Amino acid sequence: MNVDSRRARFETLAPAVIDAVRRYLARRTDPATADDVLSETLLICWRRLDEMPAEHLPWAYGVARLCLANAERGQRRQFRLLARISRLDPPPQIVDGPGPADDDLAAALRRLRPEEAEILRLWAWEDLAPAGIAVVLGITANAASIRLHRAKEKLRKTMTASGHEESTEGSRP
Amino acid sequence: MTDDDDLRARLRRTDPAASLEPASPAQVARLVEEAMSRNTRRWALPVAAALVLIAGGAAWAVTRPSTPINPVAAPTTTASAAVVSPGPAASAAVVSLTASGAQAKCRAPEPQRLAESADFAFEGTVETIENGQVTLSVTRVFRGRPADRVTVAQEGETSETMLGSGKFEKGTDYLVSAADGSILICGYSGEADAIGLRELYEKAF
Repeated sequence: MNVDSRRARFETLAPAVIDAVRRYLARRTDPATADDVLSETLLICWRRLDEMPAEHLPWAYGVARLCLANAERGQRRQFRLLARISRLDPPPQIVDGPGPADDDLAAALRRLRPEEAEILRLWAWEDLAPAGIAVVLGITANAASIRLHRAKEKLRKTMTASGHEESTEGSRP
Repeated sequence: MTDDDDLRARLRRTDPAASLEPASPAQVARLVEEAMSRNTRRWALPVAAALVLIAGGAAWAVTRPSTPINPVAAPTTTASAAVVSPGPAASAAVVSLTASGAQAKCRAPEPQRLAESADFAFEGTVETIENGQVTLSVTRVFRGRPADRVTVAQEGETSETMLGSGKFEKGTDYLVSAADGSILICGYSGEADAIGLRELYEKAF
């Protein structure tokens, strides 16, 4: 592929990748890290354009996942972690929020193992089927399918189990 | 599957990116342009420090006494590339090099610099990788003694070490240059079809 057609191809697919990866990162890290990792991810997509499969989003998520992991090992980890915690786990709102259902779900998600919660996020937020999840996580489609199924079951169970507490008041563990 | 649909819908309502505004066209254009041009720009930034580190590492590699294959890397930095075993292995048609997984900040590779620093440069295909020992069969020597095979002790992988995937992979063609038995990193060695690498070699040698 010559340079021009390479550029053209990248320019065609980049907007969709940018949009998707921005969201992926916004869901998982603070804005500063998200910006850095987005640039890094695009750079890698550009360098490895020839390896990019037709279904390029899961592949791009996979790249972003690794870049994010790298970034989080970085020096500013401590500082950013604080920023992230305060954003992801804000002080509980006593005022009428979107409804107790969300709290319940959030609490249940926190009770899952991180990998289980992540698979559910990839499924619901990134809208990926098991095949796509497999590409992101670098596992087989079969394994992704099984893990997704188990994670769903576990989430349902966890929510049902905590349903009773919730009726009394504050379901946060 | 409505159970699943419900669960998914419920999870989606908690999507923190739901309210994220799409990137503006200008922002997208900037990001795209940046990615395509950053190959050079990113490497251009931390020049001075890297050069000092690499030079230091190379000097250390040259001046240190005898060299068993493993040791690598100047004590204080991760930027020194690699160390050879200059002794017996350098005889006849086999050359031994090492490539560490050093991370380095690099400036854009220049043919002139490559021409000045490389004392050995070749193109070859990876035949085997065993216990971190990579054997390449040489298809072309750009500079240096003719060799049929080159062995490299590969110690890690970073994109700075080798253009492309960052490390040697079996069956792939590489353009590799070395100085004093150390593989030149920072865009001077990599997969043969890495963008610009062949042009770099053609210009340099």
